[in-house]
Amino acid sequence: MSSEIDIPGGQDRTDTEVPVFSAGGVEGYSADEASHYSSAEVEGLTEAPASFGRLAWKRFLHHKLALAGAIGLVLIILLFIVGPMLSDYTFDERNVAERLQGPSRDHWFGTDEIGRDLFVRTAQGGRYSLRIGLVAAVMSTIIGTLLGALAAYFGRWIDIAISQLINIVLIVPALIVLSIFALYFGRDAFRLSIVLALLLWTRIARVVRGVVLSIKEQEYIMAARAAGASHLRIIFRHVLPNVVGPVAVEVTLLLGTVIVLESTLSFLGLGVQPPNASLGTLVAEAKGNIDNDPIRVLTPGFFIVLIVLCVNFLGDGLRDALDPRSKNEKG
Amino acid sequence: MTDTLAPKPSDDAFAATAPLLKADNLCVGFRTDAGTVNAVSDVSFEIHPGEVLAVVGESGSGKSVTALALMRLHPRNTDITGDVMFDGIDLLSLTDAQMRSIRGRDIAMIFQDPMTALNPVFTVGEQIAEAIRIHNDVTKPQAWERSVDLLQLVGVPEPKRRAAQHPHEYSGGMRQRAMIAMAISNDPKLLIADEPTTALDVTVQAQVMEVLHDVQEATGSAMMLITHDLGLVAGSADRVQVMYASRLMETGDLDDIFYESSNPYTRALLESIPDLQGVKESLEPIPGNPPSLLNPPSGCAFRPRCFMAGEECAGSVPELITIEGHHASRCHRISAMPAPVGVPS
Repeated sequence: MSSEIDIPGGQDRTDTEVPVFSAGGVEGYSADEASHYSSAEVEGLTEAPASFGRLAWKRFLHHKLALAGAIGLVLIILLFIVGPMLSDYTFDERNVAERLQGPSRDHWFGTDEIGRDLFVRTAQGGRYSLRIGLVAAVMSTIIGTLLGALAAYFGRWIDIAISQLINIVLIVPALIVLSIFALYFGRDAFRLSIVLALLLWTRIARVVRGVVLSIKEQEYIMAARAAGASHLRIIFRHVLPNVVGPVAVEVTLLLGTVIVLESTLSFLGLGVQPPNASLGTLVAEAKGNIDNDPIRVLTPGFFIVLIVLCVNFLGDGLRDALDPRSKNEKG
Repeated sequence: MTDTLAPKPSDDAFAATAPLLKADNLCVGFRTDAGTVNAVSDVSFEIHPGEVLAVVGESGSGKSVTALALMRLHPRNTDITGDVMFDGIDLLSLTDAQMRSIRGRDIAMIFQDPMTALNPVFTVGEQIAEAIRIHNDVTKPQAWERSVDLLQLVGVPEPKRRAAQHPHEYSGGMRQRAMIAMAISNDPKLLIADEPTTALDVTVQAQVMEVLHDVQEATGSAMMLITHDLGLVAGSADRVQVMYASRLMETGDLDDIFYESSNPYTRALLESIPDLQGVKESLEPIPGNPPSLLNPPSGCAFRPRCFMAGEECAGSVPELITIEGHHASRCHRISAMPAPVGVPS
């Protein structure tokens, strides 16, 4: 993806590390460093600890693509929520007289085979897809981060057990499990999200495990132990904050995966059931008529692609913003 | 601030009698696939309140392992035997939770590489404040205020602003100052400094040692200074112990070691220090490398590299022989030692 855009710890980082030999020795060096900062900034930092969040926010704003992704996502969500309110139609209101219409002033995205307004249905389906994606992504992040961190931090049999669990879950074919689940346990959004999370946490867990394996060997972990910190404190205070960057990227990619997977399921008729819609069912419903009416397939498809793209850009920006070493001192 | 850093009355009261830390026959062995490696063998020593004990030796001589064993921060595959009494407590018998309450509060450690010993995602102030909050029931702002004071104490300029910066915005020397600030944040009775200046360049080394010395004096804490740099020891230690291949080779007061050394290894180390007067024509490196601890040579471990080695050296490991007072040396040929070079002018 666009990981090349802003290499963490690139140009800016080295600035403060290059020794500046001035007459004053170390003190002089610090004085030199001090001059990089305006006094206003210094004033602002004197009382409270400069929040990491504020710095990250500043870096995030400098990441154009990520900002575009975030704005795009907000606009899409707004459109999905506010759009139907402005429309005269509801998502399951049939009007057979107006079936299969193209986009018009009345029906912005046209109508389907039984005359339902496709704009309202797209908005409703989009909300559905986003909600499933978000819930599943958050849940798999929690499961994956905790298990991955525990495995790497404590090692030994805990690591072996969790790693084997990851391997087992990884070879489970997601689509088949989801299909069976949908057939036997019903198809409501929340349960679907849980199953998706139970299948997809492994990606997060593997990323977290890898990062934690390297972090736990860092001297600052030893230093934290030497300061008397407990294992839990070390995991939550010293290890996990260092994982946020990689996890943020992985979560956004996962969000994309979940949305696509849910759309696939719905497309296969195993996801959301009528009269409800998701972006996937909208594509499925329109696919029979794709030769004559490609626009009906393309609109929900366009939103799937747009959401996934925005989310990925966002993840890229988050990674750079949450890594304190990729400084952006321009601001 | 100042009153908390004043020496505790108990320190003076017991200075003459009770040692703060007493290790007896400390052995540390690492179980590996290739067998047990004895990284520390039968090491006994004392540190008295307010005293600076320097532990000197080459890489792999067991000095850092000794320190980590005292803190019980050793890896899992480790066997520790012996006794370690700290302030009346048997450290090796404590539970993990009890040990945690001692770490950072009573015994604090300063690590070798300040570049990696600070967590990159938190500001320096936050990290010092955390060290305080682990052991004290204070609010975040209080701990923050104290961490700014501590940074000032260790000579970080503009401490208020610097406390809010992340470690990558600090230079090496400044980071080590921050590490020192963190170490003294709970006013520990014992500071263990594991090669505190090795990662710094020479001019900064001197400044950091000065800071270390100042805070050690200000807090009245004892210090165990681990280093391979005898030059550093000369300026800052009260007593010195020289380690080689997991054993103590010689131990004594600073002057005993520097001017009246009775151990060929110590002598060889001293020969390899440059001297500022330019009396030495050339430096004498010690030939060879330290032995593998998996398969140490028979008898005295230093024998293969020793300029005095004789037949008796191959037989058994020499005992640590007391010469006078604190001064003891481990050498079979102690009687054959040439007279000390004496005090340089």
